Amino acid sequence: MFVEYTWLIPLVPMLCFVIVGFFGKKMPEGGGHVAIFGALFAFAVSVLVAYEFFTSAAYSAPGYVTAQIAWFSIGDFGINVGYYIDSLSCLMMLFASFISTLIFVYSIGYMHGEGVKKRRYYAEVSLFLTGMLGLAVSSNFLEMFVFWEVMGLCSYLLIGFWSFTHPSGDDAADNAASAAKKAFLVTRLGDVCLMGGLFILLYAFGSLDYLTVFDTAAMAAVDPNMVLLASLLIFGGVIGKSAQFPLLDWLPDAMAGPTTVSALIHAATMVKAGVYLVARCFPLFTQNPELMLFVGIIGGITAFFAATMALNNMNIKKVLAYSTLSQLGYMFLALGAGGYMMALGIQSGDTHLIAAGAVGYTAGCLHMANHAFFKALLFLGSGSVIHSAGTEDMREMGGLHKKMKITSVTMLIGSLSIAGFPLFSGFWSKELVLETAMHAGSYGVEGYLFTAMWVLAVVTAFMTAFYMFRMWFMTFKGKPGHGTEHCHGESPKSMTVPLIILSVFAAAVGCMILFGFDEYITTGINAAGQFQVGSGHGHGMTGWLEDIFMSAYTYLTVALVLIAIGIAYLMYSRKSVDPGKINRNGNSLIYRALSNRWWFPQLYNQIGWKLGYGVAKGVEFVDRQVIDGTVNALSSAVVGSGESLSKTQTGNVRDYAAVVMAGIVALFILTVVLFYLMGGA
Amino acid sequence: MIPIEVYLIFAAVLFAIGAYGVVVKNNTIVVLMCIELMLNAANINFIVFSAFTADVLGQVFVIMSISVAAAEVAVGIAILLNAYKARKTIEADSLTSMRW
Repeated sequence: MFVEYTWLIPLVPMLCFVIVGFFGKKMPEGGGHVAIFGALFAFAVSVLVAYEFFTSAAYSAPGYVTAQIAWFSIGDFGINVGYYIDSLSCLMMLFASFISTLIFVYSIGYMHGEGVKKRRYYAEVSLFLTGMLGLAVSSNFLEMFVFWEVMGLCSYLLIGFWSFTHPSGDDAADNAASAAKKAFLVTRLGDVCLMGGLFILLYAFGSLDYLTVFDTAAMAAVDPNMVLLASLLIFGGVIGKSAQFPLLDWLPDAMAGPTTVSALIHAATMVKAGVYLVARCFPLFTQNPELMLFVGIIGGITAFFAATMALNNMNIKKVLAYSTLSQLGYMFLALGAGGYMMALGIQSGDTHLIAAGAVGYTAGCLHMANHAFFKALLFLGSGSVIHSAGTEDMREMGGLHKKMKITSVTMLIGSLSIAGFPLFSGFWSKELVLETAMHAGSYGVEGYLFTAMWVLAVVTAFMTAFYMFRMWFMTFKGKPGHGTEHCHGESPKSMTVPLIILSVFAAAVGCMILFGFDEYITTGINAAGQFQVGSGHGHGMTGWLEDIFMSAYTYLTVALVLIAIGIAYLMYSRKSVDPGKINRNGNSLIYRALSNRWWFPQLYNQIGWKLGYGVAKGVEFVDRQVIDGTVNALSSAVVGSGESLSKTQTGNVRDYAAVVMAGIVALFILTVVLFYLMGGA
Repeated sequence: MIPIEVYLIFAAVLFAIGAYGVVVKNNTIVVLMCIELMLNAANINFIVFSAFTADVLGQVFVIMSISVAAAEVAVGIAILLNAYKARKTIEADSLTSMRW
């Protein structure tokens, strides 16, 4: 009844994009209300669709519902367009549209002073939301890829929103322009991989429909090397989109855009698309335990490195950006570890192992949903602080708690949640991630690598708690800084109300797992031998409570988190421990390595200059010398021979007559010679 | 009876003189006259072969050829007159502007 109208979910924000794009100038707030309406409408339809999907046995028993129409065909390959709804797409479209609605409402306050550029802003964020919702409901890889690219384009446009005129000057505008270019090019590198993966899938399966590709029988019939190669290339696309190691550098730079755009990219759209794609391709990825091992290791390394870089950053938005990278790493670690166990279970037919792997899937998806809420909250909170204090440097803040009570408290909730403070959202999902990594460590020959990743993840949890509270104490406690004195108090209602709503979700959404939420975001193999998201078998409340609270490792993590918060309190609120002593006033090697982002940007530049410039020069040589040379030589040959031949045209009628006569004589001689040669008498 | 070779050699010599004149002479009136010589050389060949094979078709052709030659001379003279009006000369070496 409602599921048939799924296509409205991406279409309405798309229409809003068109309407705001054309008529936004004449509307109040640059068409912001239209964008909010689009997001709200998409959310309402998502709720109805999800409600019908979960309540109707006709849909939830097979675990999916899909409908397609033919789009176009190339030879024997038919490409369709349509929707594919299962629990995962429901989860994605629900939180993406809900958080986007709140971000758009917040934007009314935050972008109020932007003037005519508001039209551009609201048109682009509507298109951005279209990309994410379209991605979530797509029924095949090509349709998904189109929306994937739409998001890439919108991230480029929005990161570079201030690339012409920046509120803090021309340098910042240049910075925004180069950050936008960087985001576009780096994700493009991943997108090329993804496209290659799609070509291989099309070649191997003859179709790009989820239904065909994820069919167990079809997968068994295809060359396993093809599946491995396609999965690797698809994961390459994910690395680019979700900013995983080694393509992680664009996301911190993407902070050059407005804070609301950062919230949108980090919480609701863009980087979540990569996690979604891995979760969506789980049937494909679990064909190879080694691939899942790779996913998990990439996730673990990213989580660790990104967290280290957040430790000493002074920019409030950059700290949050690194924490996003780190949390995304957690998601991939969970999906990798879970998928690893599941792949081993499928190979050996061990249903117990498959069920253990499903916990990893649940952990990854739950952390994705939790992260969406608390990261949106934190970004919007930091936006509120920046809006009020007029600076992004945390050294110039401090003591803001007295002036901005709502922002301060909501950000405290977000920080507690992301740090994994017991009973907050982040706690549940983070414990599940760690548990999965620990669990995966005891299976298979390469399992010990997951134990190493578990150690990294626990250290990361410690660092996360430290840098989040370093940020909170530096911003809201301690001595008032330069920016605090100029602060104009609490932000307007349109900004604080979304913060309050988000803080409720950020605190509580993780507890849903205790009330059977995991039934919907798990995966497994159903009676028909097919993969199914949301098998309906949850652990139940006691199951999870036992799982989490009967394990000594949980208490280890909680202890580390509390210690980290304590250290941050001593260093940045009471100031009884001087951080300058530990880092020798910013001169120690590690401190410099961290503030230079482990020299990643330099590495990119070196590769860019040496390799990219070398290749570019080679290509330029071929273009100028070989291709242009051939064309130029041809044309000059024609012109030259024409000019020299034109000298024979004297204009003197007697010369022409002489030539005609000489020709006749020559023909005559030729005829006579031929006549004798051919035996004439 | 005079053998056919004599007539043919006469026509060939006439043609050669005409061709020589066309290439060498600077005065375009003389060039036109030389063209007439070449034409008449061809006409003589027609008549000779017509007489020796007792076929009147050759003589019919000569009538045709003479009338076409008359028209051609009229056109040629007209061109030369106009050229003289425009350039005050009819020397072939001076009338060379119709080129690249």
